Amino acid sequence: MPFPNVRLSNRPLHFIYLCDCSGSMAAQGKMQALNQAIRQSLPGMAEVARENPEARVLVRAVRFADQAAWHLAEPTPVQQLQWRDLEAGGITAMGDALNLVADALQSPPMEERALPPVLVLISDGQPTDDFDAGLANLMRRPWAQKAVRLAIAMGHDADLEVLQQFIGPEPSGRGKSPRRPLQASNATTLAQYIQWASTAVVGAASMPASRVAATDTGGATNSQANIPLPDLPPTLLDPSDDVGPLVW
Amino acid sequence: MSPSWQHLQACSVIGAAHRRQQKPCQDASLSVDLKGRGGSLQLLVVADGHGGRRYRLSHRGSALACQVSQEAVEQWLACTPLQDPERWRQLLEQELPATIHQRWLAAITADWALQPDAEHEPFSPLLYGSTLGLVLLAPQWWGCTGIGDWDLSAIDQQGHAALLSEEREHGGSEATGSLCQELDQQLWHERTQLHPLEPQTDLQALVLSTDGVRKSCATDADYLQLCAALLDLRDHQELEQGLSHITQAGSGDDVSLAIAHRASKPRRSVVPPGSWCWLLLLLAASSVGLGAWLMTRQETPLQAQVRQLCANPEQIQATLNQRRAQFKALLEQPLLANQLQQPTSSDPLGTLIATSQSGPIPGCAALNDELSRQWQRARATAVPAKGKMPGAAAPAAAPRNP
Repeated sequence: MPFPNVRLSNRPLHFIYLCDCSGSMAAQGKMQALNQAIRQSLPGMAEVARENPEARVLVRAVRFADQAAWHLAEPTPVQQLQWRDLEAGGITAMGDALNLVADALQSPPMEERALPPVLVLISDGQPTDDFDAGLANLMRRPWAQKAVRLAIAMGHDADLEVLQQFIGPEPSGRGKSPRRPLQASNATTLAQYIQWASTAVVGAASMPASRVAATDTGGATNSQANIPLPDLPPTLLDPSDDVGPLVW
Repeated sequence: MSPSWQHLQACSVIGAAHRRQQKPCQDASLSVDLKGRGGSLQLLVVADGHGGRRYRLSHRGSALACQVSQEAVEQWLACTPLQDPERWRQLLEQELPATIHQRWLAAITADWALQPDAEHEPFSPLLYGSTLGLVLLAPQWWGCTGIGDWDLSAIDQQGHAALLSEEREHGGSEATGSLCQELDQQLWHERTQLHPLEPQTDLQALVLSTDGVRKSCATDADYLQLCAALLDLRDHQELEQGLSHITQAGSGDDVSLAIAHRASKPRRSVVPPGSWCWLLLLLAASSVGLGAWLMTRQETPLQAQVRQLCANPEQIQATLNQRRAQFKALLEQPLLANQLQQPTSSDPLGTLIATSQSGPIPGCAALNDELSRQWQRARATAVPAKGKMPGAAAPAAAPRNP
């Protein structure tokens, strides 16, 4: 008997960058480093996508400065993605960026069968608009609740508190954790974090596996338990292992 | 075999992703005829081990779940007459879950003692975590129970499939119940059903599946179409090939199906002989009148959507299930309804849903009933507009399944 004529489909995995493009990103080569890090991470991300054909990795990007706007509006298969450079200038409308992503995470356009999305927020400063309202709006979307939310702080002026709010409850204990803002103090560290998020995390999010939330989080409630986050690269586990000069 | 059920089949196939990663199949399934003092009973079981590092023995957990389910049913079959469906309903809701859970814990504990890691690692049921869905098929009734994200569909005599049982959403996440949690009778109770089989019952077959099958289909309507089409598979080999195709072209997850057909019965005509001519004449006259009426009337996209759904009532639930998030969004953002109800809206189903928020819509009862049910569900699970961070609002005891 021929196989029934029904539509079978792999599951879309939406990966969204939220990039701070405020004026301070122009200083000390931060903007250039971010563009470079994302561009360099794409071949690795495409390779992970190729290794996990059951997930359809689709990339988008939001830029935020005086206001937020889609830098890459169409969910683009990573294999077809050509990164256009972001440019710095303006203030830090981070709350506006969260609103923009909130709109995109509605169903529709989000597919019922999609895998939990991955949201990566990258910032070097403090929000200048209503971050709380933006975050509350975002977190009303079930897809945002399911999402893997990561944050990268570029330099020591980044507001770690708001980045932690974006990620969710802080894990117990000390030390580096993907459930805390990842602090990139130079271009090398930033590149490693971006590479990790776009390969190891995408690989984990692509896996069709079940798990038990209550024990994944040691009893604490945490929506991030949807995906068991992979370990950070060994060189990033200890702050003293950071590679390169402290420039930011 | 019971004369009421035939051609039982169960099959599990390793997911394309697990095959590539050289991991074992974490699904297990079973179809078996059981004999007891109370008569013959058939059993279908599917179980889905969670996989992943934390649940690294879940392939054994799912296999043991199938095994202990059979033992537990046999235990109760030995002392419970099949002619007492109410007692079996009670068993499905209460005693059977407890017996299965207890036996499963004992089985995985014994299995752990044989593992090389047992000497230097404390035992945890998590290692064996698995879902479990089972269906009992008796001559006069059928029933189901279980825990987790398995699905059960019925195919009627006309070949239409309908979803009978699915796991409710856990706090907006992809959480699922699991045998490795402490026994929660409520979770089993929610998945328990028992239905009498009358001669006029319009049931052709039951299809039990693990979540990998449904998640491989583009939509729930495709999943139901698949369930209906599965009845045409001739043998186990075809079922296995079909499952391999499903996981390769779909989610990549392990996939399991268990199917039971009701024995065919002679079709009985509900129309007295001689009435057919009158009926055909009436139908022809109605068609002419309806055609003329339609010619004078421009159908709106909303009306077309209603007509389309009401013409296929078996697909209403699946279609609306696709829009659960939209129901919730409409509750949380009242302005969204205005957008969807604009004449320029390109989403007629969204317009229909938004319109139904204020009451029944002109359409069939099946559509209005399902809309009402969806609104009820959305209200029960909607996130308060000014709530806490949802990360803290997720249920503590709910396993997840991305």
